[in-house]
Amino acid sequence: MSQDMIALLIKSLWETTYMVAVSSLIAALAGIPLGVVLVTTDKGHILENVPLNRILGSIVNAARSTPFIILMVAIIPLTRILVGTSIGTEAAIVPLSIAAIPFVGRLVETSLKEVEYGVIEAAQAMGATPWQIITKVLVPEALSSIILGLTITVISLIGYSAMAGAIGGGGLGDLAIRYGYQRFRADIMLITVVILIAQVQIVQSLGDYASKRLNKK
Amino acid sequence: MIKLSQIEKVYKGKNGNSVHAIKGIDLEVKRGEIFGVIGKSGAGKSTLIRCMNMLERPTGGQVIVDGQDLTAMNDSQLREVRKQIGMIFQHFNLLSSRTVYENIAFPLELVGKSKPEIEQAVLPLLDLVGLTDKRDQYPSQLSGGQKQRVGIARALASNPKVLLCDEATSALDPQTTKSILDLLKDINRKLQLTIVLITHEMQVIKEICDQVAVIENGLIIEQGPVLELFTKPQSNTTREFISAIINHDIPAIFADTEFSAVPLPDSTLVLRISFIGHSAEEPVIAGLIRRFNVDANIIYGNVDHIQNTPYGTLVIEVSGEQQKIQEALEYLQARNLGIEVIGYVARHDSAAH
Repeated sequence: MSQDMIALLIKSLWETTYMVAVSSLIAALAGIPLGVVLVTTDKGHILENVPLNRILGSIVNAARSTPFIILMVAIIPLTRILVGTSIGTEAAIVPLSIAAIPFVGRLVETSLKEVEYGVIEAAQAMGATPWQIITKVLVPEALSSIILGLTITVISLIGYSAMAGAIGGGGLGDLAIRYGYQRFRADIMLITVVILIAQVQIVQSLGDYASKRLNKK
Repeated sequence: MIKLSQIEKVYKGKNGNSVHAIKGIDLEVKRGEIFGVIGKSGAGKSTLIRCMNMLERPTGGQVIVDGQDLTAMNDSQLREVRKQIGMIFQHFNLLSSRTVYENIAFPLELVGKSKPEIEQAVLPLLDLVGLTDKRDQYPSQLSGGQKQRVGIARALASNPKVLLCDEATSALDPQTTKSILDLLKDINRKLQLTIVLITHEMQVIKEICDQVAVIENGLIIEQGPVLELFTKPQSNTTREFISAIINHDIPAIFADTEFSAVPLPDSTLVLRISFIGHSAEEPVIAGLIRRFNVDANIIYGNVDHIQNTPYGTLVIEVSGEQQKIQEALEYLQARNLGIEVIGYVARHDSAAH
């Protein structure tokens, strides 16, 4: 393999890592609060607000049912407003984040619902405020499960990032399509696939390890 | 200390169905006493205790704790007053991500106490509940009894005036139950803490309560000092609860016997005698035999203690001349005893034969 190809592989690896890392971070920062709101505003919960819950739930469902490749194209105007361009790695981060936020929201919602309501009630009986219940009871109790949810999100984003090539986002997936598939370079195809598998394995192992460390159940 | 007046709770279900869980309950718990509420599942006892700290807002009536009307308070006032009301639960409800120490520290963290202050409060509590050596373990590493001890220590951390126990021993085996009840009694004495507990086990009431109320279908059907309720139950439900620990049934050997309410010629008298307190120490049976020249055959006997007061039940069969049996019965009825005539049995049916 030529020097050029190796440089291209390294560049693509960096692009994938960068896109996935930034969009995962944004998705976690927005998705965890979204999950908390989805749970706590539900009927009978500490911040019951059924209309808000229904509206948020519908938005999340709508966002999750849009295929990623369509979402990516559909929000090009928004992408342009946010990063100034609709082409490139930075531009790919916007649709990746927007697709992942509702995904994280739902996963976090599921994790938080696993926390037994009795524990929340015990905190209420001790005079805890809703904010204290969220930060000292709900999230810490569900943290191990939330970490697993975030791991799934990162892995999904690695998969989605392959489509970022459609708007010039680059990355390993894009490389595999352009060189491996369109130029019949089986060696490039194989290497990118192996790197992607290794990436997923590493993320999953780290996630499992962190979750296990945090799980005291 | 706690005064409930005309508490009502209606749960509104879907399509207009509503469940009337509590139908107007008046209750008063005095400072320093252990007050038990006993009832079957679905009787409303859990709803009732949760009204006492407004985890469940009653739909009518007033809850007054230590002179403060909880029903008139907004959420932030309620949070303040709840810090004076500890609560423990059937399923402990500990934070699984925190150690024993951190669980007990939790209510203190909520009010923003400093680390040294927290340590100063938690260490004696660990000692009180006997878990000093478990301080850095997680709840999953503890037994049920130990978890409830953590629950108790956590409830005591904010120095409450009242401790509410929601079926606190129902998930525990009898021996562990005993040790938890002993701990509660100990705390009640040491800290002059008012304790309200709800249970479906009469054993729990008998073991530690001063006062007891029986709840059924959302109403208190009977209440009073424990000894009185045990010895003079008024309702069938109460009798059922008591029979779980004190046999009030007619002994099995009489299962097929027909009792007559009036004396039959040549019959024996079967009666149940309940002894309370010092009369339990009086030799009534011996007196009976000596004075009236009758025979007394003890068919069933049980002597127990409720709050250090001896209490017993005897089922005896008295045989002899009809006249003498009547005199013996009058003699017994004149004493300070609970006498219940089960009936007269024709002699050939009697247990003595």
